[in-house]
Amino acid sequence: MAARGDFCNRLKSPRNFFSEPVEHSLRNIPYMKKIRHFFKNLFSSDTQPEDPENIEELRVAFKERYHNFKLLLSANNRSLEVMADLEQALRGDRPYDMSFIRSNATSVSVNVFRMIQSLHHLAPGKYAELNTRFNAIEKTVNAILKQTRALPTSRMILPLNALDKESAEVAGNKMANLGEVKNRIHLKVPAGFVITSSAFKRFMDYNSLQVEIDRKLQSIDSDDIEDLYSFSAEIQQLVIRSRIPDDLEEAIRGAWEDLEAENGGKITVALRSSALGEDAEGSSFAGQYRSELNVSYEHVFQAYKEVVASKYSLQAITYRINKGFRDEDILMCVGCLVMVDAVSGGVIYSRSPVTHRDDRVFINAVWGLPKSVVDGSVACDLFVVSRQTPMSIEQRMISLKERKFVCYPQEGVCRMDLTEAESLLPCLTDDQARQLAEIAIRIENHYGMPQDIEWAIAGSGAILILQCRPLKQIQTGEAETAASDPELRQRLIAGGGITASPGAGSGPVYLGDRGVDVLAFPEGAVLVARQALPRWASLLNRAAAVITEQGGFAGHLANVAREFGVPALFGIPDASNIFKQGQVITVDASCQAVYDGLIPDLLSRSGASRTHLMEGSPVHEILKHIGSHIIPLHLLDPDSREFKPANCITFHDITRFIHEKSVTEMFDFGKDHNFSERSSKQLHYRVPMQWWVLNLDDGFKEEVPGKYVTLDNIDSIPMQAFWKGFIAIPWDGPPAMDRKGMLSVMYQSTTNTALTPGVRSAYAERNYFMISKHYCSLSSRLGYHFSTIEALISERPRENYISFQFKGGAADTSRRLGRVRFIKDILEELGFRVQIKEDHLASRLENHDMAHMKKQMEILGYLTLHTRQLDMIMANAGSVNYYGNKIRKDIDTLMQESADRQTEMQKGEME
Amino acid sequence: MEPFSVLFVDDEVDFLETLLKRMKKRQLNAFGVNSGEEALAYLKDHEVDIVVLDVRMPGMDGIETLRKIKKTNPLLEVIMLTGHACLEIAREGMEVGAFDYLMKPINIDELLYKLQDAFKKKSIQLEKIKHLEEVMISSKLPQSGD
Repeated sequence: MAARGDFCNRLKSPRNFFSEPVEHSLRNIPYMKKIRHFFKNLFSSDTQPEDPENIEELRVAFKERYHNFKLLLSANNRSLEVMADLEQALRGDRPYDMSFIRSNATSVSVNVFRMIQSLHHLAPGKYAELNTRFNAIEKTVNAILKQTRALPTSRMILPLNALDKESAEVAGNKMANLGEVKNRIHLKVPAGFVITSSAFKRFMDYNSLQVEIDRKLQSIDSDDIEDLYSFSAEIQQLVIRSRIPDDLEEAIRGAWEDLEAENGGKITVALRSSALGEDAEGSSFAGQYRSELNVSYEHVFQAYKEVVASKYSLQAITYRINKGFRDEDILMCVGCLVMVDAVSGGVIYSRSPVTHRDDRVFINAVWGLPKSVVDGSVACDLFVVSRQTPMSIEQRMISLKERKFVCYPQEGVCRMDLTEAESLLPCLTDDQARQLAEIAIRIENHYGMPQDIEWAIAGSGAILILQCRPLKQIQTGEAETAASDPELRQRLIAGGGITASPGAGSGPVYLGDRGVDVLAFPEGAVLVARQALPRWASLLNRAAAVITEQGGFAGHLANVAREFGVPALFGIPDASNIFKQGQVITVDASCQAVYDGLIPDLLSRSGASRTHLMEGSPVHEILKHIGSHIIPLHLLDPDSREFKPANCITFHDITRFIHEKSVTEMFDFGKDHNFSERSSKQLHYRVPMQWWVLNLDDGFKEEVPGKYVTLDNIDSIPMQAFWKGFIAIPWDGPPAMDRKGMLSVMYQSTTNTALTPGVRSAYAERNYFMISKHYCSLSSRLGYHFSTIEALISERPRENYISFQFKGGAADTSRRLGRVRFIKDILEELGFRVQIKEDHLASRLENHDMAHMKKQMEILGYLTLHTRQLDMIMANAGSVNYYGNKIRKDIDTLMQESADRQTEMQKGEME
Repeated sequence: MEPFSVLFVDDEVDFLETLLKRMKKRQLNAFGVNSGEEALAYLKDHEVDIVVLDVRMPGMDGIETLRKIKKTNPLLEVIMLTGHACLEIAREGMEVGAFDYLMKPINIDELLYKLQDAFKKKSIQLEKIKHLEEVMISSKLPQSGD
């Protein structure tokens, strides 16, 4: 042990073992000659017969090379898998976040780097240029990942007087719009200031929060609501426990004092979230964040942190992920507005949100603070006002308003029950309704688009605007009415209410009541709840439809439902008792009807297609950009002169290049050594075949001294499976076959090298297997067709793969393409991922268990023999069909045999 | 495969505990410490085959720890395992000689495969050195009489 330890200490690292074998202290010592010989044997391509003394050393050398090769293959496999994941994400079938992009980009980069390292071990110094290419690509990818938004100002506080709609980057959309309303439209708004995006950044940086958030985000599964739930709780706690830096605290104190001076006395405020990106057109972030009402100076700092923390509420996180926002881009500005103790308040829609044909103004109103309209917790009055002058109130829906929210004198909000008389009084006079409608139209005209406006009427009677934002109108088709079909009417179990989001959806009922129920919500269920609370928003990407007893279309939940295209029907009295847990229902929100069971006709009529939410989002754009440096493959043809490191533009190119070269290096090393154990052997199966086998490691049962290896001495799982399929079903033309049978067909086709054009190297000339116990790489030319099959099949399903590539043919281009497509169809039916470029087909299958992978190898063996020369018949649709059917039938037979065998084996084991 | 021993270094105590339990169930000699400094101290007195190292830790960070380990124990294989995906740090780690750079959450089987691959690499290196020593010894003996 001492000697070994001593030796180890002289090595800087194991890698230097190769590049600097001769340490200074060892130089000029007599036995160096022997050591040099040792290294020479390891790396030279000397072909003199080996000194028996060195055979053991060579064995180690081979073992090491093979291990490096295996590591290279596993890194290659991993890179390709990650690239496939990225590609799938780009298609946008499911949401993903920045941590998905960051981990996968890092994973590809690491694995490509490992491949380069392994290749350098196999061929030191030969492919140094790859490092240059890798560095360039890595640098680009890293730069895209690291992009950050530059803030226009470092000021941490800005007064409302200084804001207009151009201030969104500093103040968030909500506060910028309020500044616009005050300073450009000259409407009345509460006095106040904004704690800016720079302040938020200062707070986050001061407490190193983003780093911790990114770390936690990476470790969770964003599809798993439980993971998200605990992530949300942890981060919110973390934010609330964090410290506000002194300079920020000082700035807030100063602004508060100014506001008190302006107001002429002590104030309380409403703290309102005003995140960057919130309230932008198309993504409302409706109700995702918290607002704190009636806050005194004593608690303003705590309340600030609570509003900031609400950036990590469950619904806000899911919303961001589903809409493709980068977490670090959503900077939370907080508006600080003098509290208005409202007599009444509510929300105006300057047009109907559910149909663009209706241009009337919709006013929702409650007694007291407008809070309950927004959070959907109390029924509200609805006034519909025509926009033609003179304005008239066209509709008045006065609801039973059981309670109202008002301010406590010192701090906080109190919920008060209303007397029966009060509860039925309209909360607006017609005059007030008309005034509100006029204001709404003024704001709409200013912005040039429909608006969603929150308002309050103060004790003085003054109307104050609390916020405004663009209103998204949904384009609906012709007016729909509930089905007149008598059968359908029989199945009607509820009707009426308000279309909060149009469309139809079906699924089992899930009765939601408590906050924790979001964890148990099953994918595709219909959410039935008493109140239209914003917290249900986190379920919308998984819900088929939503029904609530209370809540109007002006609430946050309705907003988000429309944005996500989830049908929602609000205001169905007693819904949580009418529907039973698990009962399958169909909700036709457009027609305000709910039916028992699944009614496919309704679903298809509503044409409910969920929008591709990620498309165009910041995260999607970043993935597109990064993907363009990772995924496309430019190096296709290894025979081409363009196939070189300098032409590797993407990570995929590098992996393709390295994989090709590593196989060649492995092959050449074996060939160049006159080391009988590891030279290639001719396969002997009844007769000597034109197939050569190179044992990389443990591919033979016992060492083979002579020229031939017999099939029963082959211990390679994938090769045995391939061969089994290859000989399973005889080839029966066309063209007319040699009557001597299948073996001679195989023999002939593989010896006729005169047919083989453009021979590149010895490796390509003949049919070569490179094998180990779990690995097999087959390169073959049968006639004009060049194909390579590579497989790793072991007890590690996550590493298992089969790759099959195919190119060429004797027929004209259209027939060749016909055959490639023919094979593509078959492979896809088997579960392979297939890509075609010109007449080159590349396909892969991954991650199945050993039994399944073996079956697929058998089928590839079968296909290798049976698809040859199919291009000859590709012009004739009839024969294409004939062969298509025959091949599929044969494959079924093969699959069946394996299945039978397995059953027998299991029986055997049982006995 | 013969049994081998692994030292896990992670400042997240819960994560480390769970990982150790799961690794022990898989017949691995698994040990754990919570910082880079503790890892270096542990390695002074104990033989392990592989170290699994968190990248971001208070005190000595993962890359620094990796450098020190590679300096004193060049044959020890080190796998980086991190919750912070970062291209630059990954690259740095690989250049300093990490066997791989993996990201949390990690599939436990995948981690086990990586450990096996790393151990195999280490075994081959040792085998090579053993042969080299044999060559040295056998060539030294006859020449010692010169």
